[in-house]
Amino acid sequence: MPPELDQLSALQKPSTMDQEPTAADTIRQVAAEVLEAMFFTEDELAACEHGWLGSARCARIRFEGSHFGEMLLGVSVEATDPIAASFLGLEPMELTDAERGQVIEELSNILCGAMLSKLWPESKLALSSPELTGWQEWREGGALHRCFVIPEGMLAISIRLIAPTPDPRAPGPG
Amino acid sequence: MAYSVLIVDDSPVMRSFIRRVLRLSGFEVGECTEAGNGIEALAQLSAHPVDIILTDINMPGMNGEELLRRLGADGTLKTTPAVVISTDATNERIVRMIELGAQGYMSKPFTPETLRDELERVLGDRDASRA
Amino acid sequence: MKKAGGEKIMAVSALIVGISDCKVTRDSNSVLVTYALGSCIAVAMHDPVTKVSGLLHYMLPESTIDAKKAELNPFMFADTGIPRLMDVLQSAGGDGKRMVVRLTGGAQVLDSQGVFQIGKRNYLAARKILWKAGILVAAEAVGGEVSRTTRLEVGSGRLWVREGGGIERELVRNTAKGRNGSE
Repeated sequence: MPPELDQLSALQKPSTMDQEPTAADTIRQVAAEVLEAMFFTEDELAACEHGWLGSARCARIRFEGSHFGEMLLGVSVEATDPIAASFLGLEPMELTDAERGQVIEELSNILCGAMLSKLWPESKLALSSPELTGWQEWREGGALHRCFVIPEGMLAISIRLIAPTPDPRAPGPG
Repeated sequence: MAYSVLIVDDSPVMRSFIRRVLRLSGFEVGECTEAGNGIEALAQLSAHPVDIILTDINMPGMNGEELLRRLGADGTLKTTPAVVISTDATNERIVRMIELGAQGYMSKPFTPETLRDELERVLGDRDASRA
Repeated sequence: MKKAGGEKIMAVSALIVGISDCKVTRDSNSVLVTYALGSCIAVAMHDPVTKVSGLLHYMLPESTIDAKKAELNPFMFADTGIPRLMDVLQSAGGDGKRMVVRLTGGAQVLDSQGVFQIGKRNYLAARKILWKAGILVAAEAVGGEVSRTTRLEVGSGRLWVREGGGIERELVRNTAKGRNGSE
């Protein structure tokens, strides 16, 4: 296992009063801040029952730099319209399908950037453009994962570190 | 007086969000143009200079950091105030963007009202410097 | 009524807004007041040109939990009360684009179900409805654990808030120091 995954695993342990917040605490805090500030809704931690993810709108975003990894966001089908409408200040019936997808992508962008900035504030990171993806690409093994219930439906966030792709230009062993 | 604004972000819905805040903030906005990355932004600015640029950082093609670098090197454009609106709140990035000339830095998430307040501050400073 | 020096002073009439209640006026000699804002939200709206002003005090975010109650009294809920307030203000000659809107209340207190969250839900409901209606909030004193009293001077548009047993202070445009009224 690459050393970076050890680091993320260590961050998953519940924090105590005298410890720095863990990555799990950070995910929870950031999700609340993002959803309240720009989507005008609130969330609570929920049990992970993933049947709903089969039809969910999911977005993936990759990051690289001082840390390499990716984040997955899943938004339940019944929450997609209310969330998108709230962000844009529209009625759900006014949304285009393009806008629905773009809001989910932007939500993943904001969550990922805010989380990484809090987890590693001294790091140097670049985020990829988010891309819509299907449930088949949702990965749980080796990822830090949380599910949330919001008044509109369900949200799931999964984040993991991966080993950086070796640079093909780098000289091989002599 | 009416302000002309350029919004630079690869997310169309984020551009909509910012445009909505501008409209609701009470600023007299004359022309509000949009670009999906730094390359498009520079092309637009060469044809139509604006009063303020609102730019993301992570964008394909040319990112916001390179855009600010190019603006700073341009004799005409370097006086146009730029506010960064980004998910990146790492210390190094914030310092670098300020050093490159950003007049303000909004890290997402933020409320519409917070963005309004920041725009008022930057436009107020701009107007005061030109008085 | 005249002062000793012969100047006229106008009597100020206080219009009390109760819980799940709303009042609108354009009388510049009036003051709109609401008390005991715990988890409830007070929405104060003021048109600085026509002086048309309104104060709504609602208890709950969504009327879907009891549509019949909402029909009897739309001011109990954010999603029926705020649109109704805006309609009445417009009918009274207020311009939605000029309205100065301020929010107070939304404290985290135990509600009847023993749940703390209703204050925040009420607050988020107001922000969502106002954003959709095209209105940004000018100032707010929300959250915390204190009960609040809110007073809107119709003539001047000034809004005053008393938190807990503290002194009354004017709620002006939020500074970076905090949106919960504390400095």
